[in-house]
Amino acid sequence: MVYEQGEEVLPGAVHGHRLSTVVPSSVTGEVDYPLSDADLAFKLHYLRGVYYYPPGDVTRGITTKVIKDPMFPWLDDYFPVAGRVRRDAADVAAGEGGHPPRPYIKCNDCGVRIVEAKCDRDMAEWLRDEAPGRLSQLCYDKVLGPELFFSPLLYVQITNFKCGGLALGFSWAHLIGDVASAATCFNKWAQILSGKKPEPTVLTPENMPGHSPAGATAPRSVKQVGPIEDHWIVPAGRDMACYSFHVTEPTLKKLQQQAAVATGTFELVAALMWQTVAKIRGGVETVTVVKNDAAARSGRALANEMKVGYVEASGSSPAKADVAELAALLAKGVVDETAAVAAFPGDVLVYGGAHLTLVDMEQVDVYGLEIKGQRPVHVEYGMDGVGEEGAVLVQPDADGRGRTVTAVLPRDEIGSLRAALQDA
Amino acid sequence: MSSPPPPLGNNGLLKNVHRFVAAVAVPLAAAALAAAARLLPPEAAAAGWLRDARPVHLFLAVFLPAAAATVYLLLRPRAVYLVDYACFRTAPNCRVPFSTFLEHAKQVPALNERSIRFMTKLLERSGLGEETCLPPAHHYIPTYKYCTLDAARGEVDLVVFGALDDLFAKTGVSPSAIDILVVNCSLFCPTPSFVDMIINRYKLRSDVRSVHLAGMGCSAGIVSVGLARSLLQVAPENSHALVVSTETITPNYYVGSERAMLLPNCLFRIGGAAALLSNSPAKARFRLRHVVRTLTGAQDSAYACVFQEEDDMGNVGINLSKDLMTIAGNALKANITAIGPLVLPASEQLMFAAAFIARKVFGGGRFRPYIPDFRTAFEHFCIHAGGRAVIDELQRSLGLSDEQVEASRMALHRFGNTSSSSLWYELAYIEAKGRMRRGDRVWMIGFGSGFKCNSAAWECIQPAANAEGPWATCIHRYPVDIPDVLKH
Repeated sequence: MVYEQGEEVLPGAVHGHRLSTVVPSSVTGEVDYPLSDADLAFKLHYLRGVYYYPPGDVTRGITTKVIKDPMFPWLDDYFPVAGRVRRDAADVAAGEGGHPPRPYIKCNDCGVRIVEAKCDRDMAEWLRDEAPGRLSQLCYDKVLGPELFFSPLLYVQITNFKCGGLALGFSWAHLIGDVASAATCFNKWAQILSGKKPEPTVLTPENMPGHSPAGATAPRSVKQVGPIEDHWIVPAGRDMACYSFHVTEPTLKKLQQQAAVATGTFELVAALMWQTVAKIRGGVETVTVVKNDAAARSGRALANEMKVGYVEASGSSPAKADVAELAALLAKGVVDETAAVAAFPGDVLVYGGAHLTLVDMEQVDVYGLEIKGQRPVHVEYGMDGVGEEGAVLVQPDADGRGRTVTAVLPRDEIGSLRAALQDA
Repeated sequence: MSSPPPPLGNNGLLKNVHRFVAAVAVPLAAAALAAAARLLPPEAAAAGWLRDARPVHLFLAVFLPAAAATVYLLLRPRAVYLVDYACFRTAPNCRVPFSTFLEHAKQVPALNERSIRFMTKLLERSGLGEETCLPPAHHYIPTYKYCTLDAARGEVDLVVFGALDDLFAKTGVSPSAIDILVVNCSLFCPTPSFVDMIINRYKLRSDVRSVHLAGMGCSAGIVSVGLARSLLQVAPENSHALVVSTETITPNYYVGSERAMLLPNCLFRIGGAAALLSNSPAKARFRLRHVVRTLTGAQDSAYACVFQEEDDMGNVGINLSKDLMTIAGNALKANITAIGPLVLPASEQLMFAAAFIARKVFGGGRFRPYIPDFRTAFEHFCIHAGGRAVIDELQRSLGLSDEQVEASRMALHRFGNTSSSSLWYELAYIEAKGRMRRGDRVWMIGFGSGFKCNSAAWECIQPAANAEGPWATCIHRYPVDIPDVLKH
């Protein structure tokens, strides 16, 4: 007999978690996937993305088996995602430097963790609530470590709502790829589920560990931490939470009109957030900007190729500056430090480490994850492992005209943020 | 309870016609002989005797040999044939690589570092590959948490019904033509029984003779074949028997940390086979020559060597004793002694007898026991893939070449220890490799708890037309070189 023994279920909470594993359908063999310097720079961060599917006939037919079955061939293409972190015993430089040997991914087919859960609320109600921290309920919030060699790189949580709605929560270790890589990876799974043959996955040429000279101090965009041993998370001094909200089309139009020149939507929304956080917190003269440049990508399926840089607000405090001014700064004044960040040998926090981090997800096709023709009604991406300075992710919304923004901030700042947004 | 009289039908009518014809033929033959005698020239000696003989003597001279021949033909046991067989084709969504198996084991609270290290070493040296499969319920963490009765029935659905669907498609036989159903599955005995599950699913007839053999261990496949043979020999002509061999793994995960009892968790994998036997040679592919069963349970050490019991914490598991190999060797010797006279050519038997007598007369030291060369009796060997050690031991005892044990080793690598169905996977390997020829003889050797050693001898009538079956997708990769210690 199986009971859910001893599990006290808070009303409305997600409960009944069942864990299982999905592996690649064919044997990968003895393959090692090297991690580049850029990959290792992001190792302390974890993407948390949730895709919501409305109740209906299509969603009712999406059982756990329907979700799991295409994953086996999917992982044949993405076999590094099913691997595990190992340390290179032959890393001589490490022994001399006194830090742990260089990590890489051993593609041992260990698999991806699947979590099945239930929620006794209606999905529409859940979305309306806009509760901060709802992301962490729908994404299994584990990180790499303390047992580093046995930690999955990807968790997929399948949450069934009372109304029949479905939420798919992906917990993705940033070191294996950036948000663009992750979204493409998930879209490929959906294509296999729908019976389409996805484009071939390019995993070669292999990541080459970089040999560019490293600076002695960390670049300004990031904060040095550590040294990190086997538990790849920096416990933030303050409790961080993800809060997602919608920026409507009229708001965007208004912002656009205020700007003197045509400015990109990301710059406008990010500038608005910069100003709001500066008002709440004070200061925030510098921000880190992480942008996704689709044209500059190498075409490798799994890569960390976001551009990392910083922007300094010259002169006036951002709290008092014009949104349009800040937006112009974000468009033109970013000091690119991507190479320096990758080359830096120590452990760093990119998001929320040195400064508030603004993340551009404009070109990431998150709404392309169609399950049997059913588009998600809502998608939100947050992050774990963000430093105390916080991060803001600007992403597309359901119809493409507004924007969804997820702010990862200390929990006590979320209330002020909500209030400030009401006023705006 | 007496069964209703079998329907007369064509069979009964024909039989009576035959009997009438036989009854009439004998006197006619006698009369013909007497008439011929009259026609022969008087000088022939036989002609003289025939002319002098009285009619009753002539009649007896023809009748007695004819009667003796008829009685001999009637009392001779009927031949039993294998029409075809099908094995469960493991699906990639049940695959469990080593690393996954060990990662899941680490999440079991009862297993400590030492147990995990033991299981790791065991798996590395086991001869299993990275494609073996466990039932869907065992892919959860912890492995045993969702092993319900439903999950076990689900496994039967997946494995047994999969093999049966394949078999019915291959042979073109309809389920309503099945007269006898024998299933062997040791550790899963639901109510209604396993055979009832099959009867319900395939809508078998209400007068099917069905038996479920439970608890008979890994050698039960041959026991089932033997039972089906016995039933077919007394069944009407053209009867069909379905033999299903499987082991349901879902309910049997050992949740403790006793090392000798962790072995089954590491080695057993899902698998199942269904075979259609018949007492008519129409469309048959193999002929069953012999079934020889040897039981050594009378000795205490053999009885206790594979023993289901509770460990110190009360967890039920199967305890494998350390002298398993020795006991297996002894059981094998006993079985060889029994099957040898039936299959070996006269030359080998004479040499075996001579060596045996020499040892008895001149003392055991001077003459080594003669191991008959079974390669003179069989072209192919299917040795139960119980584990690497079992196959090694048998290869040594019987003096077999690497190619002859290849089927067993590769089946162990690809499918793991699938218990009683492993012999059928090995036969499928030999056929998929195209090595089977008409007239080839196959020896299936099964070992199991008890301790039993059972043998079946088959002769090929028609090799498989293609490589369809459980090996279809991977046969081109085999044989593989199995390392002593697998890196993972």
